[in-house]
Amino acid sequence: MSSRTSRLLLLAPAALLVTVVVGLPVLRVLQLSLMRADLDGGISLAWGGLDAYARLWGDARYWTCLRNTAVFTGASVALETALGVAFALVLHQRFHGRGALRALVLLPWALPTAVMALAWAWIFNDSFGVANDLLRRLGVLERPVAWLGEPATAMAVLVLADVWKTTPFVALVVLAGLQGIPEGVLEAARVDGLTAWQRLRHVTLPLLTPALLVAVVFRAIQAYGAFDLVYVITGGGPGGSTETVSLYAFQHYFRYLDFAYGSAVAVQGVLLALLPLALLLRWARRREAR
Amino acid sequence: MLVPASEREVWSPLAEAFERAQPRARVELVEGPNSTDLRESLYTATLLAGDDSFDLVLMDVTWAAKFAAAGWLVALDEDFRREELAALLPQALAAGRYAGRLYRLPTRSDVGVLYYRRDWLAEAGHEPPRTFAQLERTARALQRPPQRWGFAWQGAQYEGLVCFFLEVLHGHGGFWVDPATLEVGLDRPESVAALEFLAAARGGQPISPPGVTTYKEEESRRLFQDGRAVFLRNWPYAWRLSQADGSPLVGKVGVQAVVSVSGRPGAGTLGGWGLGVSRFSRQRELAVEFIRHAVSLEGQRALARASGYVPARAEAMADPELLAANPLLATLTSIHQSAAARPALPRYAVASDVLQRGLSAALAGMASAAQALGLAARETRALLSGARPRPGS
Repeated sequence: MSSRTSRLLLLAPAALLVTVVVGLPVLRVLQLSLMRADLDGGISLAWGGLDAYARLWGDARYWTCLRNTAVFTGASVALETALGVAFALVLHQRFHGRGALRALVLLPWALPTAVMALAWAWIFNDSFGVANDLLRRLGVLERPVAWLGEPATAMAVLVLADVWKTTPFVALVVLAGLQGIPEGVLEAARVDGLTAWQRLRHVTLPLLTPALLVAVVFRAIQAYGAFDLVYVITGGGPGGSTETVSLYAFQHYFRYLDFAYGSAVAVQGVLLALLPLALLLRWARRREAR
Repeated sequence: MLVPASEREVWSPLAEAFERAQPRARVELVEGPNSTDLRESLYTATLLAGDDSFDLVLMDVTWAAKFAAAGWLVALDEDFRREELAALLPQALAAGRYAGRLYRLPTRSDVGVLYYRRDWLAEAGHEPPRTFAQLERTARALQRPPQRWGFAWQGAQYEGLVCFFLEVLHGHGGFWVDPATLEVGLDRPESVAALEFLAAARGGQPISPPGVTTYKEEESRRLFQDGRAVFLRNWPYAWRLSQADGSPLVGKVGVQAVVSVSGRPGAGTLGGWGLGVSRFSRQRELAVEFIRHAVSLEGQRALARASGYVPARAEAMADPELLAANPLLATLTSIHQSAAARPALPRYAVASDVLQRGLSAALAGMASAAQALGLAARETRALLSGARPRPGS
């Protein structure tokens, strides 16, 4: 057996797995998005061409979902990245109890989303929630606030819950990146007389870019697909102001039994999400080439 | 069949009795999530795959039309004699019909009711309200916000908001969708007045807590249970919990039909659960027999005894033993007679979401009642016109 054949043979199981687990479902969703689903004496699927996509165009609820998702993704990824880098820088220092603290910081990341989402929903309950109680004791609030009852604050609670949960992930990835920066480089910068801030700004952060990029791309994809958090905390309310694209697609699949339209929502949602990500990656590659 | 994990104890005595009567039958209760939505998704995924895991489908009132339209249920008209069906509560039975055929038999009935603090009303010399104006007046007179609120209800964006709104809507003489003509009544003045009543309850000079727009059944019930609300709109289950040992509300709670503009007993929204047979079942006969057993007087007694839920059979509601355990049944019998069902549309879930979003937006102050309902009415009409065969196509 030539080395080429054996290489292909060794790759075959992985290739097969990816085809079956990822490739086929993706193709099926693409196919479904070009159909029309009717619910009358059974579910019937008929060729619909681009009908579903045309319908998306005039679907105000879809555009609201897209906007909500973009706001949620932008706000939560930005905050998580900033906080994650800060955490990682602290955890990179040598101090007593660092191992314990590193483990502790990871805790929110390890909790199941639905469980912690339920906890957040109660924390921000207007009558029984800890948030209102604390803020009133501190004299910040005079009357209880219905955090989940107003569009802006409901979105803020979602972002907060997401930041709380996934900042550890960013911190972890960035920490790994920090450990990959050779001591010698920072030492040289110190010898050259750079201040701590200058070292961070001109040495550490540029060298961290690959790690940051990994963290941001992963987080952005996950935040864009946010479902469980929203489903549990607000269910998309109030007035649809926190409904995300995946929640909307889910409603079409499982509640409306309109698989064609649900697939179109998913496909177009993914395409629109890939665009900024592609731009980001291009920018990073250009930078690297320089 | 798939049951909520918390209801295993409710169904197992019935299942065991059935197995004794039918030696070749074995009833397997699969414990599913307690959340209604999640169980609906589970059933949907299973039935969609044509899987025969579940012979029986335990359905909420609003699923029957959709599941029947999807071709997942067997029509049961021929399996039950007329007098067997006549013994069930007519409203609850009718909710299981779709396109003229019967797909679901009710095993538990539910209806929206109004709870009030009998002790506080008596102290202040207020009669239990009959109209919305009386309700508001009494609520305002007895509340001490933010410690004690006038009126707690379900205002989150979910199905419960639709249930509650329909009671206010019917109380104002309005309607949502007429299932026969598919006429939509959401943008009529009665509908706008109904929503304005709710929006006012938490706006300007509120009688409801600001967070009522985030409440589902449990949040609103807890407020009432903690002695922090004068009135509560909820389902009959809240009664048992309010009168349980250790509850601060024992003997202090009154229950009555929801109110209306005219002062006549309002129409509580009909809820409830029922059983249908999966098209993919390979035990169709036995499945039908199980349903027959579950809706029989004996079966209904066993279910109600184990759960405290309200039976779907008139005789069982008058059963002395059940009445002794749950005196509310006597009141509920009359409340049931004026209950209103939600329209049996195959696309019910979409119509409900359209309404939920409109209501929630108006309650959160994102739109006026007239704007929100106008939009919801247009969207609902578009949805329903798609459901009918279009001329020329």
